[in-house]
This record gives sequence, structure tokens and C-alpha cells, in this order.
Amino acid sequence: MDMTATATPRHLTRVNAINWNRLQDEKDLEVWNRLTANFWLPEKVPLSNDVSAWNTLTEQEQTLTIRVFTGLTLLDTIQGTIGAPVLIEDAVTPHEEAVFTNISFMESVHARSYSSIFSTLCATRDVDDAYRWSEENTHLQHKAELILNRYRMDDPLMRKVASVFLESFLFYSGFYLPMYWASRGKLTNTADLIRLIIRDEAVHGYYIGYKFQQALAKESAERQQEIKDATFDLLLELYDNEVQYTESLYDDVGLTEEVKAFLHYNANKALMNLGYESLFPGAAESVNPAILAALSPGAEENHDFFSGSGSSYVIGRSERTEDEDWAF
Amino acid sequence: MLDDTVETTENTSSVELSRATQTLDYHALNAMLNLYDNEGRLQLQADREASRQYFLQHVNQNTVFFHSLAEKLEYLVAEDYYEKEVLDQYDFAFIKSLFERAYAVKFRFQSFLGAFKYYTSYTLKTFDGRRYLERFEDRVCMVALTLAQGDETVARQLMDEIIHGRFQPATPTFLNCGKKQRGELVSCFLLRIEDNMESIGRSINSALQLSKRGGGVAFLLSNIREAGAPIKHIENQSSGIIPIMKMLEDAFSYANQLGARQGAGAVYLNAHHPDILRFLDTKRENADEKIRIKTLSLGVVIPDITFELARRNEPMYLFSPYDVEKVYGKPFGDISVTEKYAEMVDDARIRKTKINARELFQTLAEVQFESGYPYVMFEDTVNRANPIAGRINMSNLCSEILQVNTPSDYDADLGYERIGEDISCNLGSLNIARTMDSSDFGATVETAIRGLTAVSEMSDIRSVPSIAEANKHSHAIGLGQMNLHGYLAREHMHYGSEEGLDFTNLYFYTVTYHALRASNQLAIERGVAFAGFADSDYASGVYFDKYTEQAWGPRTARVRELFDKAGIHIPSQNDWRELKASVMAHGLFNRNLQAVPPTGSISYINHSTSSIHPVVSKIEIRKEGKLGRVYYPAPYLNDDNQEYYQDAYEIGPEKIIDTYAEATRHVDQGLSLTLFFRDTATTRDINRAQIYAWRQGIKTLYYVRLRQAALEGTEVEGCVSCTL
Repeated sequence: MDMTATATPRHLTRVNAINWNRLQDEKDLEVWNRLTANFWLPEKVPLSNDVSAWNTLTEQEQTLTIRVFTGLTLLDTIQGTIGAPVLIEDAVTPHEEAVFTNISFMESVHARSYSSIFSTLCATRDVDDAYRWSEENTHLQHKAELILNRYRMDDPLMRKVASVFLESFLFYSGFYLPMYWASRGKLTNTADLIRLIIRDEAVHGYYIGYKFQQALAKESAERQQEIKDATFDLLLELYDNEVQYTESLYDDVGLTEEVKAFLHYNANKALMNLGYESLFPGAAESVNPAILAALSPGAEENHDFFSGSGSSYVIGRSERTEDEDWAF
Repeated sequence: MLDDTVETTENTSSVELSRATQTLDYHALNAMLNLYDNEGRLQLQADREASRQYFLQHVNQNTVFFHSLAEKLEYLVAEDYYEKEVLDQYDFAFIKSLFERAYAVKFRFQSFLGAFKYYTSYTLKTFDGRRYLERFEDRVCMVALTLAQGDETVARQLMDEIIHGRFQPATPTFLNCGKKQRGELVSCFLLRIEDNMESIGRSINSALQLSKRGGGVAFLLSNIREAGAPIKHIENQSSGIIPIMKMLEDAFSYANQLGARQGAGAVYLNAHHPDILRFLDTKRENADEKIRIKTLSLGVVIPDITFELARRNEPMYLFSPYDVEKVYGKPFGDISVTEKYAEMVDDARIRKTKINARELFQTLAEVQFESGYPYVMFEDTVNRANPIAGRINMSNLCSEILQVNTPSDYDADLGYERIGEDISCNLGSLNIARTMDSSDFGATVETAIRGLTAVSEMSDIRSVPSIAEANKHSHAIGLGQMNLHGYLAREHMHYGSEEGLDFTNLYFYTVTYHALRASNQLAIERGVAFAGFADSDYASGVYFDKYTEQAWGPRTARVRELFDKAGIHIPSQNDWRELKASVMAHGLFNRNLQAVPPTGSISYINHSTSSIHPVVSKIEIRKEGKLGRVYYPAPYLNDDNQEYYQDAYEIGPEKIIDTYAEATRHVDQGLSLTLFFRDTATTRDINRAQIYAWRQGIKTLYYVRLRQAALEGTEVEGCVSCTL
């Protein structure tokens, strides 16, 4: 594929229109199908059902929750406007490009969702304060900087590594909180929405990791070692920062230790997506089971009609009925 | 008796648990159900430990202590917690003996969710909501004392049935009985809306009033003129049904029962209403915010003719309700579209539009994929099976209530010119496994019918006179069933197998006999039958033909053995002939008797599988507003009998439909039937299942549910509910 940019817009010079019936990599179609079936918009979730639960949170808990969500908004913004678009440039098949356009868009949907939560639950002034906090929190800014640095590097492999760390690891210090609330019967509709995001991020992290492993296999042994070292260096640097970020958020409510255990679990998952061994042994066992169990997207979740639509519905495949179906 | 407050499970299994789990709170212990242990086994003991810890860490520490029953009851009456009138109907000595009898049973919750659900949502709490004033036994006694209305024998019978888990009243009854500050005892309402502003306005008011009292409300929209229809002969004026749906949705979310739960509502529309596609589009993922319906449930009423047109692959006509009402002099919902279809197509006075019938079914399935809605009611099947004079044109929020209704007329100030009949229904379910274990099957059914009838007699919904009026005359009740799958698995039968179908048929057959017998007995005792009995198929005797003209019995040796072992007499043709004679002579007290609801919360407390569905998972994830996520193990499940707990997605729609068909033929109202598909299904698979259900004589379809398998590589490690 011709990746060189010229003065002429690419879509005019391009001679090969995307053909979904000629696949270089089956995985592209599989993931495309999954992502499109999972399409959703925040409006589907009846967030307003959480208003009364929101009012039962203490002021401190509310501040924490808003801050966690502004932190997530920041990461999703990066991923939607920079992270996924740079991966489009690195794509090796036209279908991969298409998948990343979807990922890019859905990241923007995620960022949009947090604003839906804010506008439904919170006072504008509190939200503005939290946005200001997100711009001033050194750990959050450092985290963004570490990732953005990799995105700006001219190394497609490290871009993917950074992207997987974001999708599979860094989001989760934030996701912990709504899962924790939901396990206590609070903000359960918000948790549904977050689970929809988790459902997407799980596929994103997996797919980018897969593409990383495909690309890495083509490299020399030295280059592979170099990437591995850089990957673990980056993870440790991110981890140190993430621990401090977690402490700055969760110390006041006494949840820091639990969140850290959860970070270990997700760091391992991110490494697994990249094809590397775990860094934190026994991490899954030390995660609070209520949080771990809450992560599953909930296709089996049974809910009553008083509680909204859940996070399990998908856009289905349409197929016409034929005469034989109507033979009665 | 009342100092017996330390609840422990019989199997104190904390030694089996690793040290790490001992420090966990009950939420975390419960969540371990959804994760396999290191050897890949279910962690059922963690749930038992969760339930134990829940009592030790939370319930016992937060329960108000009384020295004696007398002190407790005096206090609760004096402080306006209990209704004095309920207790005043009895001698204290009897009340004391009833409570002692209840405590002697040593009731224990079988799962964490059962206990948690009970204490979170049902038990009486101090007004500040912090401390518990009742244990399960107290609640059961108060329910029995309330429903028995002073009759000691009935009170004892009801208490026995409930405490032993054979009969479980529906949530509103079980929650509210005996409490001074309470909502209504009935759960479910169905109202018509006529094609005028007074009726529409009145319906919004009814939505508010009934939600405030804790009910689910369904409305019929079929009579409303379509978008673009004339108003006062001026064309293109009406906004159709969508804005009414919006108003209803807002009304429901505004009103809640003392914050206990949000109002919930459903709307039903005939498939041949011109707004049908707009109606369905309100549930689309990409629907515009102005027309999007989030929390209102939708149902579509489908007559036989729609299937016939789809079979011939012909277009289907949609008819303007405004014109139909002018031509026929009655609302669109009261017309049989199947019967009048050809006539209406040829009538130039009726405005009509044309859509493709098969495409409508496909659209229906697409929307079901995205949202689980709409419910479906097969209108002609329902009316053919209806023994009562009149027409059924809608169902309710759970699609199991099927009763006739008539329109009301209103003054300009929303008073009634003529009070029509709208529908209410109070429900309660038998636990099939426990009922099969009952020492007297017939008496269990009879006590349940008496309990439900009491609820109907004690209810007077004055805020909606059309409901109060109809209830006074009809005493309609809905006896439901639950724990079918639990029972089958316990007895090592597969859901949907030949034996499973045989059992379902024979069980419902026997229950139906005793339900009719009990209602007949009530009519004899009260000396009165329900209004309209004379015009019913019961009075003419036609209803009984299927039981007197043919013998019903077990088709398999296994089912014969189960009924023999339980000592349950299977009613003979002669039994039916005698019952028929008595019914024709004395009538029935209840116009409607059976309806099988989906049983959510009460089946957890009762430790049942829901309704007559298969389990959705061996370990079910339950989400409710008040509880968050909680995990529920299927009743009687252990590491050795897992093969009998195939879940609904593995079992597939056909066996579920077959099972429901066996039950449907005996049930006078409906049965909530959810269809379960894996995400490999297409809209065509859903349509096929709908066609199959219609052909098998199913009356209504409830939700469509889909399970998406986690993409390989993205599952949560060791998660029970992620594995397929």
C-alpha cells in the first residue's frame, strides 16, 4: 500500500478501492463485525435513573467520581483524536484502516459519554472544577505526556504498545470506581454505560495487540528484544506514575490498595494482549471478586424493567424470511 | 422465639475457604460465584458463606430487639408501623401461636441474593431506613393475617404455604400486607385509551396515580388516530401516538412508590395501525432524541391475517383508526382485523396505507435485536382461547394478563359519563417443586386461590374508577408458577425433553382442575359468581369439553412415577364432569384464575428458577437499581448435576415454546415467554421462532434476549458466565 503523502489528496491518487471480499487478514473482518454490532450511543442508557443514587454519595465521593471521569475523558480524547488516527497511518491492510476509523469514532463516543453522565448527574460548577483539576493534576498530565510521546515517535511498534497500554491498562484505574459503586447498588446505570465502554476497549486492546504481534514477528531478533525492553520500561514508568495517580485519587476514601491490585491484573492483561508474559504473579486472585465479576459485559445479566436496558444488546444481522419459513 | 436472631447456615463451611476469602465482605464472597476456583469448580460454598456473613456482619447487628412478641406488636402498632385493624381481627393467643408455628419451621435463606433481596426490599424497616423490624417469619405471618381477614384456619393455612415456600404472593402483596405506610396490594393494571383528549388526559393521570401506588401500567394505543389524521375534519392535524408515549414515559419516571421503585409502563399497538413503523422506530439505537423511548415497554398486537399476508408475501394494509371508528361505530381496538380485513380494504371511506408484511416482521426482529422489545400478542389465538364474553385487545407489562375490557366516556372536566371496565390483576406463584412435595396438592392450590381472592376483595383503586369497578365485579386473579426448571433438574429430567413436556402438561392440567374447583367453592360459599358468568363458556359448559371428552394422563413412565410417588391424584374425566355440573350450577367466583408471570424478585427469595423458563445461566447475574450486581446460583445446583442446567441459550427457542405450549392450553390468561438467542442468530431466526410460537398456539411473547459470546482473547479469566 502506498503510504507516501503527496500534495494531492490521497483518496484521489488511490487506485485500489477497499474490497471487503478480498481479505488479507480475516481478523480485520471479524473485528469489524464485532465492533459494528457493538455500536451504541450514550443516549440509550437511562442515566437519569441514577440521580437519586448520586445524591446519596458524600461530597467527597462525588468529587472523586467526577475527577475519575474527567481523567477518563482526557484519555479517550487522546485516543479518539490522536491515538487511533496514528494507527490508521500505520495500517498494513485497507481493512485495518477501516477498523481504526471505527475505533477512532467510538473513542470519541466514549469521551462524549462522560459529558452525558456529567450533564445528567452533576452541577456545572463542580464539573468545571474537575476539568480544571484534570489539567492541573501532574500525574494525569504526565501519563498523557508519556503516551503522546510514543504516538509522536516514528515507530509503529511503540505506537501500538502505547495504545494497548492505554486501552487495556490505564483506563482501568478509572473504571474501578463505577464498578465499585455498582457492586454496592449505586450508579448502576452509569455502570452499564461504563461496561459498554469496557466492552469496546477490550476489543480495541485485543486487536491492536494482535496487530502488534503480527508486525513484531517480521522483525529481527535484536529488534524484537529492543522493543520488548522498551515495552517493559514504558510499562514500569507508567505503573509508577499510575500508582501515584491512584493514591492522589483514592487515598481519601481508603480504596487505594484494592485499586492497585486491579492495576496489576490489568497490566498483565495488557502484556498478554501484546504477547508478553505477566509481570504481576497472582494478580487475578487479589482483585476484589465483586469488581472482577462486574467486568463481564453482562450478556447473562438479568434485569427488571425498572432498571434500564442493561449493557447486553447488540445491533443484529438482518436476513429476509423466505417462503419456506412461512410454509404453514 | 424472637431472641432466635443469629442465623447460621447449616453447612458452616468457612474452613473450606482459603484464608484470603475470610477477610472478604459478603458482596465479594457472593461475587466469587461468578468465578471458578483453581480446579475449575463452582464456588457454591462462597455464596453460603456470603449469606452467613450477611447475617453476622449486617442483619443481626441492625435488627431491633424486643423481649416478647406482645411488646413488639404493641410497639409496632403504637408507632404506626403495623395496621392495628389487621391484628384486631384475632385473639392475641392465636397470633402468638401462629408466630410460634412459623418460627418452629426454622426457615433459612438458601442463597445470598434471597436474603439480601428480602432485607433490602421487603422487610419492615424503621422510618429512617437504618434498622430492621421484621424477620422473614414476621413478614409471612403478617401477610397471612392480613389476607385471612380474621379467619384463623385460613391464616394458618396461608402461613404454612408461604413459610414452606409452596406459595409466594407477588411483590406488592408480600411487601405491603400489614404495614401502616404502604402501597397497594395489586401489581398490575391495564387501561384503554380512547381517541379523544379527555381519555388521553385521564390516562396520564392514571399513570401517575397507579405508579405512585406501586403498579406497572399498560396502555392500549390502538384506538388513537394516526399522525396526520384530521381533527375536527381539518386534515393533517393529529400528531399520532408518539407524543402520547413521550408523556406517559415522563409520567412514569416522575412517580415512584415512596422512592421504592420507579413507575414502569407498557404500551400496546395493533400491527395494522398506521403508526406501527414509527412506533417500532422509537426503540432504534439511532433514534432521534425527540422520538426515542427509553424506559417505556412496547408491545405489538398481531392478528392471524398478518401472518396469512406474510405467508402469501402480500402487502398489508394499515387502517386509520379515526375512519374505522366512524364506519363501525366502535374503536379500532375492538374490531377483529382478521375478520374485517377484506371489508376494510374495499371500503373507500377508510384511509389506508400499505407496507410489506414480511418486512414488518423483519423490522420487528431488528428492533428486538437492538432493544429486546416489542412484546408480541397473538390477538386471534388469545380471543379464541378466551372463555369470557368480550374482546381482548392488549396485554400488560409482563405480557401474562389477558382480560376483556370496555371503554369509558368522560366529561369535559374528566369525570366519568360512563365507567367502562379496565383491568387489574393480582398475582402470586406456586413453587412447582415444593408444591409437588406438598402433602395435599389440592389444598395448596386452594389456599393460594383464597389468598389471591382476598387481595382482590381488599383492593379498591379509587383513583381509577374503571379499575375499581371491574375488580368489584370480576375478582380476577392470576395464579402463576415458578421453579419448573429447578424441579426438572432436581428430578434429573432435561428441560424440553419428552418427560419435561409431559410433566408440564400434567402439572398444569392438575393445577387447573383445583383452581377451578376452589373458585367454584368460593362461589358456593359467597353465593355469587363473577359478573358476566352467565355469558361465559363456563356457564354453557363448552369450556369443559376438552377435559370431559378426552382423557388426560401421563405419557411417560417417569412422570407417572413422579405423580404416584407424590401421592397426587390425577383428575379423571368423571372428576371433570362433576366439577362441570357444579360450576354450571353455582358459577365461579373469579372471572380469571391463572396467569404465569416472569417472577423476578420473589423467585430469589423463594429459591426458585424464574417462571417456567429455563435458567439464563447456572450462575445468574442479577442487576436491579437497588441492589447493583448480585449473583444467584440455580436452585439445587451442585458439581454433579450440572448437565441438567443447560441454559436458555443452549436450549434454544423451540423447546421453550414447546414447554409453554403444554402449559398454555390449560391457562385461561397468558404466560410470559422470553425467547433467547445467541448472537449468531439473524432476524430470520427470530421471525422463524415467532412463526413457530404462533403455530404452536402460544398467546404472547415477552422479551427477546441475546447473548454475545466474548471475543476470543477478551474474556475475563475464569468467569463462569463468560464461558459458553
